[in-house]
Amino acid sequence: MVMVRRLTLSERIMSKKITRFCYRKIIDASAQKVWDKYVFDSSYTELVMQFQFYNTENKYTTFGDLIWNVPAAEKLHFLVSASVTGYVQQLNEHIPDIMNNLGKSFLRFKGYRFEIINSDIKDKSKHVIAVNFFSEPVIWHDTIDSYLLVSLLSDETTAEETLTHLVQLQSFFSIYSLKDDIQ
Amino acid sequence: MESRKKFLKNFLIGATSVPVIIAACKKDDITSTTSGTDTSTSTGSGSGSCSVTPSETAGPFPTITPSSLVRSDIRLDRSGVAFTINITIKNTNNNCSALSGAIVDIWHCDKDGYYSEYGGSGMQSIDYTSVHFLRGRQTTDSNGLVTFTSIFPGWYSGRATHIHVHVYNSAGTSLLITQIAFPEASDSAVATVNGSGGTAYGYTKGMTGYTYNASDNVFSDDTTSAEVATVTGSLSAGYVLAHTIYVNG
Repeated sequence: MVMVRRLTLSERIMSKKITRFCYRKIIDASAQKVWDKYVFDSSYTELVMQFQFYNTENKYTTFGDLIWNVPAAEKLHFLVSASVTGYVQQLNEHIPDIMNNLGKSFLRFKGYRFEIINSDIKDKSKHVIAVNFFSEPVIWHDTIDSYLLVSLLSDETTAEETLTHLVQLQSFFSIYSLKDDIQ
Repeated sequence: MESRKKFLKNFLIGATSVPVIIAACKKDDITSTTSGTDTSTSTGSGSGSCSVTPSETAGPFPTITPSSLVRSDIRLDRSGVAFTINITIKNTNNNCSALSGAIVDIWHCDKDGYYSEYGGSGMQSIDYTSVHFLRGRQTTDSNGLVTFTSIFPGWYSGRATHIHVHVYNSAGTSLLITQIAFPEASDSAVATVNGSGGTAYGYTKGMTGYTYNASDNVFSDDTTSAEVATVTGSLSAGYVLAHTIYVNG
């Protein structure tokens, strides 16, 4: 059990940093979770369809070759995102996979961005996409080993006690933005 | 373990370098994150640095959801003269019979001549890159018909009024990318909507500077008017477009 030093009221005000996290959820052909598989399949189908609009001479099969040779195809990141919008909405603003150290999902997202990392219209196994989830603002109180001690703005707070979460630093999970104090 | 802690502490002095740390110490978890199974997060390296296994009540089971492009009412937040678009797809490889199951994407500009998914550049200064209005996808019925509810498109410099259409077969293979042109006589919907009667609906450009089909770089070679749709109706009742597109299905 990690000992948490209680912050004084003035410390809480003075030392607060407000951060937003980004979780870059990568989904590839090895996806196992149902949601991941749906997003993988839906985005691939949509990409293959819309790829053809830019691949007018059927010269390219990979996403990399297409955007290199047809710069306008960069729009495919956004255009294909329409295929996953419904799935993102099903998450009801809960960032998937990222748990606090009690094993519970606790972070909500307030924005997301879809990106195509790689793909091949002739080989679905080459399809790799990412959904970047941007978290709601959280208060970053301290860093303990590889854990960040944070509290959500919605967490219960009194003058005596702030309820907190420990979240582990991990791959594809990063601090997206930082600012001092609550505006 | 101790050296790893020291390593982490050294790193944490620069708090913004946070993501690098884990890439260094949790390689196994990279695969667990991407494969996304609940169990793999706990089967990584077995060291204390692994994330805990999620242990909470499962959320609602995901359900298969069509692309948000799949909609018949494509107006979203756009206003204008009511407009119904009926497109019939026929198959030249089957005696021009109706092609059912074809996927039809359409998109057109709003009453002011702006497209969604574009903008911030010379062609269209207003930035609508992050919205999808006036774009939709439907699948043809047994009569080869798709119907969209929209608003009458405006126009922009250099082009006649038009609707973009991309037709795919049921497997998603592109069959045809084309555009639909509009009649433009003085009593046509284009002239009426962009005339004085249309200003009450927000169409303020008039017809000065309008590019007619004969001068349009896409439609000027359409000497038989094969690309020109039939448009009927009125400002108050709305207009209905009917057009047939032939593809090699």
